[in-house]
Amino acid sequence: MQWRMWRGDPSINDYVDRWAAPRLLREYGITLRTIDGQGPAIVNQLVVERDARARGSADLVWINGETFNNLRKENLLYGPWAHRLPAARYVDSLSPIVMRDFEQPTSGFESPWGRVQFTLIYDSARVPAPPRTIAELARWIRANPGRFTHDQQFTGMTFLKSVLYAENGGRRSFENGFSEKRYAEGSQRLWAWLNGVRPYFWRRGETYPAGVADLHRLFANGEVDFTMSYNENEVITKVRQGVLPRTSRALVLRDGSIANAHFVGIPFNAPNPAGSMVVANFLLSAAAQLEKLRPEVWADGTVLDVRKLPPELAVMFRGVDTDPRAIPRDTLRRYEVSELAAEYTQRISRDWKARIRANPR
Amino acid sequence: MRGLLVAILVAGPVLAGIAYSMLGALGVVGPGASGVSLRHLQVVLADSATWWGLLWTVWIALASTLLATILAMGTAVAFRAERGVDRFARLVAVVPLAVPHVVAALGAVLVLSQSGLLARLAFAANLQTSPADMPPLIYDRYGIGLILALSWKEFPFLALIAFSVIARRGALLEETARSLGAGPLQTFRVATLPALWRGLLPSMIAVFTFVAGNYEVAALLAPSSPLALPLLTMERYTDSALDVRGEAFVLVLLAMAVSLCGVAAHEWTANKFEAAE
Amino acid sequence: MKASRSGPRVGLTLVLAIGALLPLALLVALSVSVEWFYPTLLPGRWSSANWDFLGRGSEVIFSSLWTSVALALCAGVVSSIAGLFAGREIARLDGWRRRLAVALAFLPVAVPPLALSIGLQYSLLRAGLGGRFVGVMVAHIVPALGYTTLFFVGIFAVFDWRVEQEARSLGANPFDVLRRVTLPLLRRPLVEAFALGFLVSWAQVPLTLLIGQGLVNTLPLELMSYVNAGQDHLAATAGLVLTIPPLALLVVAGLAVRRLRVVIA
Repeated sequence: MQWRMWRGDPSINDYVDRWAAPRLLREYGITLRTIDGQGPAIVNQLVVERDARARGSADLVWINGETFNNLRKENLLYGPWAHRLPAARYVDSLSPIVMRDFEQPTSGFESPWGRVQFTLIYDSARVPAPPRTIAELARWIRANPGRFTHDQQFTGMTFLKSVLYAENGGRRSFENGFSEKRYAEGSQRLWAWLNGVRPYFWRRGETYPAGVADLHRLFANGEVDFTMSYNENEVITKVRQGVLPRTSRALVLRDGSIANAHFVGIPFNAPNPAGSMVVANFLLSAAAQLEKLRPEVWADGTVLDVRKLPPELAVMFRGVDTDPRAIPRDTLRRYEVSELAAEYTQRISRDWKARIRANPR
Repeated sequence: MRGLLVAILVAGPVLAGIAYSMLGALGVVGPGASGVSLRHLQVVLADSATWWGLLWTVWIALASTLLATILAMGTAVAFRAERGVDRFARLVAVVPLAVPHVVAALGAVLVLSQSGLLARLAFAANLQTSPADMPPLIYDRYGIGLILALSWKEFPFLALIAFSVIARRGALLEETARSLGAGPLQTFRVATLPALWRGLLPSMIAVFTFVAGNYEVAALLAPSSPLALPLLTMERYTDSALDVRGEAFVLVLLAMAVSLCGVAAHEWTANKFEAAE
Repeated sequence: MKASRSGPRVGLTLVLAIGALLPLALLVALSVSVEWFYPTLLPGRWSSANWDFLGRGSEVIFSSLWTSVALALCAGVVSSIAGLFAGREIARLDGWRRRLAVALAFLPVAVPPLALSIGLQYSLLRAGLGGRFVGVMVAHIVPALGYTTLFFVGIFAVFDWRVEQEARSLGANPFDVLRRVTLPLLRRPLVEAFALGFLVSWAQVPLTLLIGQGLVNTLPLELMSYVNAGQDHLAATAGLVLTIPPLALLVVAGLAVRRLRVVIA
């Protein structure tokens, strides 16, 4: 069966191709083939396939957030099915991060796979005492002009959302779905903060790196002193791959670290939905979640509630996380905040492009 | 008559694509389509980002084409003999043709960025102490690095044509001019340059059209504002809000209109020079 | 030509060589290293990890390489032959008909690949060609055929039709004329047209992406995903692999041209 997923990270590819796929073949007789595709491309793909009545090209898709939102709106997902999986009972169903995708209940249309949290990344050799809050960051930026920026895509927008929370008294202000009024008030403060520090951004805030990969490159080569990631452990894998300098460290902002889960879904026209469910179930298994958690593999958080597992398995989970650079789990939990309704993200992205990006001066 | 039919066959897929894009621009088909409406057209045409993007893309295409042409002419004139050095130079000049655009773009980032090879050389020569000392060549509003990268990629194509022009007519023209008493600079201006220009102009227009539509190189080297037309198009086509995607079709039509102008210009100049020969 | 100007000429050649080859040298250095950050001029750590990775993920890399080669070969063969016939027909027109025909043939070349992909995606998917090798091949042939047709229009523009006319006046039928007279004269242009079609398909990204729907994986697509993921060293390695066949083709075409010129001249 075919799984459409993002293939840009060699560590993730290794986990899927060389750990998961052979076991799927051995234990279930499933030949797993992965194809590259992500977010909007997946949505476009399915829309065109539906319009052209073409056969489905994927049985399983790796999605979250806005993608899930769009697919549900257009009825492009098969389901509900996720709650029927045997492994679903071990999922951390009390966590809003796992059970709601950008505030939209998953309703069994997607099955959780992993969870991550947003962090800044800094170089401990260059910035020994990094700022810990958004306010401190603003001061740091003004004191060190030209050494900070953010990217234009998902990671950069998550950063902007973090600023939104911080400037508006926390996530509480934005509960219960999208409100035009609250967005208008909240975003005013966000633009005010940005316009205040923008002249001190890299290249005076006149241009921004296209994606987080470009930002990583700027950071690694000393053009800026911070980069960021929506995965708290990406710094570990990237250092291992030689993409980031060895003295890089992750940093959780005290104003709140946005956490979200990523999921797998089954397209409406999947040729082999039964196979997809088997794969999704396998991905939820303790063994698969444990392997994925290892810092030398992917360092992606688990969606399982460890307390629900049989004791011999639960113990193994506590034993992982031996990388000294990883942020302690309780620190992460203390500052975790969940995502807002997807429409906030869309509006922030659109308005940022129109108000900030389009006006370099 | 058969020739026209054949030509229509060759162009067929493009014509079909134009038709589909028109339908998409009107909201009839495509992701997020909701029925006939002029909304997409209005939004896109009223957006200043569209026109800035178009203008900027045209600027980049013009500058790259001109630079590539100058390089091509220069190489052809400087290395026109049949000696070893000249033949080696002509061979080396063709190498960028084989390098795929994406690879060339990556190379440009690594050489021209503020922390790239040039910057590191300057650092080693004590000319700078940090990346910020290096003037920005990529992601800059004039697109200098982008122009350099595109010229690097396109100049072999023009150089090949320039080589054949010089080889075919160069010697004759120059001898004629020389026999009439012209010095080397005059010879170039009066004899060689016009021949090169006539031979190259149609291809220059082709290069212009091609560069204006290139996505991969701009994706790696262009600034975020003004946003080049291909990048703007891709952004709209992959926007998370489905109804925005119809705007991508309008931009596609805009890009195709630019190409059509290029084709028309190419035909006109090619015929003008054919008539003159 | 005065021989005394060889000094500056050598200097100029050096500048040209460095300009043309430096990016490639840089990519080679990237491919055999990891951790290469500003301001170091030499990589922080030499490593074969990148080539190892490509060799290890060999199913993916080699299959994408093979797909790229197969697509480019098919596109080259089909577009060069079809281009020859198309170019010939168009070259026989004149006046406004010819200008229109050339402009039409120019369209697949001038239209941006991204725009073309967005426009074509629906029709090809409807025809059931989406996500299949054949579909991507058809998509690649669209621009390739444009290039080769224009190429042959140029060739036939200076072609001496009298050769064909004489053969015809000697009693040969059109098919024989084609086979025995025209084609042998066009061997070199056919080789060049094949190279042209091959190269157009080889480096193609948007068409493969949108028509192949990710099911048809080519080396340029692998490369794009490495670049987008910030994996510069891997991207450089894949980029070098991507550059080798076109370079080789250029060398071969260059040699073939030289040898043929000796034979013909």
